[in-house]
Amino acid sequence: MKKRHLLFVVLGILVLAWPLVLHGVFIQHVAALLVLAAISASAWNIVGGYGGQVSIGHAMFFGAGAYGALAAYTDFGWPPVAGVPLGIIAALLIAVLVGLPTFRLQGHYFSMATIAAVELLRILLSNVSVLGASVGLMGPARPRGLADLSFRSPVPYYYLFLAVLALLLVVTAWMERSRLGFYLRAIRGGERGARSLGVPVVRTKLIALMISAGFTALAGGLYALMVGFIDPESGFGLLISVKMVIIAALGGAGTLWGPLVGAAILIPLEESTNALFGGSGTGATYVVYGAIIVLISRFLPGGIAELVQLLSVKARRRAA
Amino acid sequence: MPVTRRTVLALPVLAAPAILGAREAFAAPSAVKIGAVYPLTGPMASAGDSSRAGIELLIDLINTPHPELAPIPLMAEAGLPRLGGAKVEIVYTDGQNSPAVAQSDALRLITQDHVVALNGAYQSGNTLTASAVAERYGIPFVNGESVAANLTERGYKWFFRTTPIGPDIAALYLDFLASVGKTGVKVAKVAVVHDTSEYGVSVANTIKQVAASRQTPIAMDVSYTVSTSDVSAQVLKLKQAAPDAVIFISYTSDAILYMKTMQAQGYKPPILIGDDSGFSDPSFIKAVGNLSQGVLDRSAFDGSKPGSNAAKIDALYRKKTGRALDDTTGRSMTGMLVLCDAIDRAGSTEPEKIRAALSATNLTPAQLFMGYKGVKFDAKGQNVLASALMVQLDGTDYRSVWPAAQAAAKLVLPFKGWS
Repeated sequence: MKKRHLLFVVLGILVLAWPLVLHGVFIQHVAALLVLAAISASAWNIVGGYGGQVSIGHAMFFGAGAYGALAAYTDFGWPPVAGVPLGIIAALLIAVLVGLPTFRLQGHYFSMATIAAVELLRILLSNVSVLGASVGLMGPARPRGLADLSFRSPVPYYYLFLAVLALLLVVTAWMERSRLGFYLRAIRGGERGARSLGVPVVRTKLIALMISAGFTALAGGLYALMVGFIDPESGFGLLISVKMVIIAALGGAGTLWGPLVGAAILIPLEESTNALFGGSGTGATYVVYGAIIVLISRFLPGGIAELVQLLSVKARRRAA
Repeated sequence: MPVTRRTVLALPVLAAPAILGAREAFAAPSAVKIGAVYPLTGPMASAGDSSRAGIELLIDLINTPHPELAPIPLMAEAGLPRLGGAKVEIVYTDGQNSPAVAQSDALRLITQDHVVALNGAYQSGNTLTASAVAERYGIPFVNGESVAANLTERGYKWFFRTTPIGPDIAALYLDFLASVGKTGVKVAKVAVVHDTSEYGVSVANTIKQVAASRQTPIAMDVSYTVSTSDVSAQVLKLKQAAPDAVIFISYTSDAILYMKTMQAQGYKPPILIGDDSGFSDPSFIKAVGNLSQGVLDRSAFDGSKPGSNAAKIDALYRKKTGRALDDTTGRSMTGMLVLCDAIDRAGSTEPEKIRAALSATNLTPAQLFMGYKGVKFDAKGQNVLASALMVQLDGTDYRSVWPAAQAAAKLVLPFKGWS
């Protein structure tokens, strides 16, 4: 165990200190995007991974958070960060409204219902003029003060995102060991079985969805801070939801570190394929990106976490 | 290193910083590098591809001598003459359909490719985020095609836009009517017919506002819901009020329905103007072209006048792509042309000098291949001379009829409709 602790300490120092040493702005930007993606995938992981409720509509929470931030700026002139709590409250309301009816559905039917819900919201939103309708909302064109959290360098965003990610990991780790975590895993194993053992299925799923929705909305709010623009497609688009699922599944859904590993692979991959092939306009970005996802789902359906487990078992056998 | 699953999976992670950093190493010394962000994949890809093809053609024309295109800046000589004939090199990036990707692209172009200026990015949302990065880094950004009004309301110092936007289009219609009025045609009573979509309402409101500010208010406002199945009540209302001119702001299916209903009721307004969208659609001409002879429409690009810059550029574009040059592509190309011209006049690749040259831009219609009255930026970076041409349907083609200097055919009034 001591060796493992040392590894974590070294990794932690690396994660915290590298932007102070390396000054490539674009690499710093990619790192901030990576942490942001890890936050939304980890948030999805709570209900989608641990609970096995594969939501493909998490963009509804992400979008709510992003819109909360920029609507607060556009409609009230607040700094966007002050609107993030509004976005989180909206996301929690959506979670209850969508969760209660859809949790009666299981498996693919639940996934389909979440897709329908997010599409419905996206179309509704295109007609709400205080929320920018189909044109979208923009953040402060130039920072009015520090409170607008608008920086030229990606490094402040990186640390801000890192702090949120750390909080989310602590919450997830706590949940893993708590009754909620055991209930969720029981539900993933089989809802009927869990119910027969006395697990309050609907309540557990709803609590998990609300925690998940809150953090996804927070990720959306952070996205809005950094990008400074949101429209129905970039907030509630289907690809936003799908990306969370892919990142979590790639790293290992239902594990603490899985979404982080997934983000650490997928985001640099996405950015470097776009940097290398995007300008050619041939869609090579998606071909390379897609091929890697296919390879992983073919050879490692349980994600990278499964590989790590396999390897450590092998190593232990060799040691024995 | 043995090829195992572990090493294969580790590759992208290990290689990414190298790939992300590598492009810095290959900076060509003499070429002037400009970054272009366009949607090359995703739902907007076909439009982005056309813009890219147009820009490729334009850069090719700038980098090689084309004396036959002489009135257009930079065409006669090879490269940028005031930079010692330096060639222009475009670094294309794919903004996809995502403002976040466009932001990444702009950051990468500025910090890794060290471009001297940026151009793009088609969708207004992508233009917004990409130009915000340029503003923070103090790099000039020229946009040729995004129409969201707020882009030039941000108080940016480094953002310039060449395309006409809502108020320019309203001014075009009113100028046209005023000019026709001077020839003795009655134009006192103008009606606006529009659907209740955001497009219909915003264009109609802009026309009404601009008209009111000129003391020539719009006399009549007729609205209907999008994709309606019956407009006989609206046509009857028009027939009774008998306006001198009617401006339709309609999508294709509604535009077709209006033409059919007007024929059924035997009503022809003396001047009928359609606002681009529905009336420019080839399927409109196919369905009701024979009922719509003499319909007026607007277009910023018209290649129908033989010997004009537009016709020459259109021919070259057709040769390259097999398609006719469309309005949006022409607008993107003009944005890039204005940027290259400013870099040449700056005689330098220093951002501040390029910005100053952009601010001082003053191009005339003869130097352009679009129906603009020229290019000249106001303090907000909007082209105050942005405009379009009035085109008129004759047979199955629209031909430019106004302003007279750029006209390919003679304006025919009143509206002929069907025979």
